[in-house]
Amino acid sequence: MSAAWALFRRDLQLGLRQGSDAATALAFFVLAVAMFPFGIGPEPAILARIAAGLLWVIALLASLIALERLFQEDHQDGGLDLLLLAPAPLPLLVLAKLAAHWLVTGLPMILVAPLLAWLLQLPAEGVAMLMLALLLGTPVLALIGAVAAALTLGARRSGLLMPLLVLPLYVPVLIFGVAAVEASLAGLDPAPHLSLLAALLLAAFAVCPWLAGVALRQAAT
Amino acid sequence: MAAGHAILAPMLHRFANPARFSRISRAILPWVAAATAILFAIGLYLALVAAPPDYQQGETVRIMYVHVPAAWMSLSVYALVALASAVALIWRHPLADLVAKSASPLGAAFTFIALVTGSLWGKPMWGAWWVWDARLTSMLILFFLYLGHIALLNAFDDPQRGNRAAAILALLGVVNLPIIKFSVDWWNTLHQPASVFRMGGPSIDPAMLRPLLVMALAFLGYFVCLLLIGVRADLAAARRRAQQLERAG
Amino acid sequence: MTRKRQRLVLVGVAMLLLGGAAALVLNAFSDSLVFFYSPSDLAAKDVPVGRVVRVGGLVEEGSVTRGSDGATVHFRITDLARTVSVTYAGVLPDLFREGQGVVAEGKLDAGGDFFADSVLAKHDETYMPPEVAEALRKQGTWRGAEAAEPSP
Repeated sequence: MSAAWALFRRDLQLGLRQGSDAATALAFFVLAVAMFPFGIGPEPAILARIAAGLLWVIALLASLIALERLFQEDHQDGGLDLLLLAPAPLPLLVLAKLAAHWLVTGLPMILVAPLLAWLLQLPAEGVAMLMLALLLGTPVLALIGAVAAALTLGARRSGLLMPLLVLPLYVPVLIFGVAAVEASLAGLDPAPHLSLLAALLLAAFAVCPWLAGVALRQAAT
Repeated sequence: MAAGHAILAPMLHRFANPARFSRISRAILPWVAAATAILFAIGLYLALVAAPPDYQQGETVRIMYVHVPAAWMSLSVYALVALASAVALIWRHPLADLVAKSASPLGAAFTFIALVTGSLWGKPMWGAWWVWDARLTSMLILFFLYLGHIALLNAFDDPQRGNRAAAILALLGVVNLPIIKFSVDWWNTLHQPASVFRMGGPSIDPAMLRPLLVMALAFLGYFVCLLLIGVRADLAAARRRAQQLERAG
Repeated sequence: MTRKRQRLVLVGVAMLLLGGAAALVLNAFSDSLVFFYSPSDLAAKDVPVGRVVRVGGLVEEGSVTRGSDGATVHFRITDLARTVSVTYAGVLPDLFREGQGVVAEGKLDAGGDFFADSVLAKHDETYMPPEVAEALRKQGTWRGAEAAEPSP
C-alpha cells in the first residue's frame, strides 16, 4: 500500500513540476475545440446542436494523446523493472500511476469544459451535466487507455497504433456521455445514461488495472 | 550466434506437439476441403435456386444465406481467438498463438462480409444503407477490434511480444460479444431479433432454415480449411527460421 | 499481509466492482440506448416540440392515405396502446405496408402530429414462403401484428 502511495506522490509531483505532457493535452483540447467555430461557422444554433458531441470527441482524442506516454518514460529509464519488483500488487501500482495521471490531465480538462461549452454556445443547463458526465467518463478513458499504452510499449509506430486499439473501446463512453448531456438539454431524465457511465467506470476499475499489469509484465521481459 | 543453442533446445522441445499437429492437419485437410466444396455447391443451389422467396422480402431474402452465416462466423471466430489467447497466455502453448494469429484476419473478413451484405439488404428493405443502431454499431466495433488485433500482432520486432500483446487485447474485446448477440433484445434496434437461436425455437420456415444451415456449415468448413493452411504455413516458417539459426550457430 | 492474502483481497474487490457495475446496468436498462421511441414512450416522456426523435411501431391498418400532390403520405404509427399520426414526403422503403413495423425520424409539432424526414421499415424475425403465409392466414393462426413487435 505504501509503495502505491509513494508512486502516486512521485508521479503527481513529476506531473505538476514538468507539466509539459499535461499542458500539451490540455492545449490540444482547447485549441481543437476552438477550431470548430472557424470551420463550421459561428451560427449559434448549429454550434449548440453539436457542442456536446464535439466536446466529448475532442476530450477522447486529448486523453488519447496524454495516455500514450503514460508508461513510456518508465519503460525507457528502467523504472518499469523496479515497479515489477515492488512489494505491492502491480494492478494497484497501475492505479496509483493512473490516479496521478488523471489529476494532472483529466481534471483540468473537466475544469475548462464550461469555458469551451460557452464558446460553443452549449445551453447553460447542459454545462453541469457535461462536467458530471466527464467526471464519470474520463477515468474510464484513462483506464482503457492504460491497457493500450502498456500493450504498445516498444511497438513500432505506437503512436499510430493507440487510436486503432483504443477508439473502438471508447465508443460506449462517448455514446452515454453525450446522451446524458443531450437528455438533460431535452428535459429528459439523464439518470439511466449516468448510471451506465458509472457501470462502465466500475467495470473498467475491476478489469483494466489487472490487464495493464499483465501487459506491463510481458513488455518488460 | 552464441545464444543460438540456448534458444534452440527449448524451441525444438515445444515443437514436439506442433509436429503432431502438422501430421494430423495434413491428413484431414483434403477431406475438410472436399466437404466444404460439396457443402458450398449444395448450399448455394438450395439458397439461390431451391429456396422459396419470402412472403415480405421477396427474392431479397437470399442475401440472408450469406449474411447470417458470415455474422455467426464473425462472432464464433472472435470467441475462438479469445479462447486461443487465454490458452496462450496461461499455458504458453505455441499452437494457441498461431491459431489466434491465423484466425484473426479470417474473422475480420467474415465481419466485413456481414457488414457489406447487411448494407446491401438494408437499402431495399429498411430504406437505408446504414443506421447507427446498437446491433450495427457493435458489429462495426467488432470489425475495428479485429483490425486492432491484427495491427498489434505485427507491431513488434519480436513476434512473441506481438502475440502476447494481441492476446491481452483479444481478451479485453470479449465484452463486445454478448453486447452484439443481445443488442437486439436489450434495445429497440432497427435490426430484427434472432430468428434461429432464440427461445421458443426458430421463427424461420424449415424451407429456408435448411439452406441456411447448409450454408453455415459450408462457411465453417471454409474457415477450418483456411485456418489449417494458415497455421501450417506459420509452422513451416518457424521451422525454417530454426533451421537457419542452427546452420548459423 | 502475505502475497496470497493480497491477491485474494484484490480479486474480492474486483468481483465487488463488477457486481456493482452489473447492478447499475440493470438499473439503467429501462430505456437508454434506444434506436426509437414507441408512441407510448413519446407520450410518457413529454418529448419537446421541434426536437429530432425517432418513433417506431406498426403502421395502423387502414390509416395510410396519399396527399393530393401524390408525394405526401399520411399514416398512423401504433404500439397497440397509443398512436401518433405521421406526415411524410419522400420515397418509402419496399417493406412499408399496413401492419408492418416502421421507424420514422422527424419532429413533433405543437399539436402532437409527427413530421418525418425519413421513414425506415423494420423487419421482424419471421421468415416464410408466401404460400405458408397464405395458409396460416386462412387457418386463422396468423400472428401478424404482435409477431412484428416483440414486447420489450
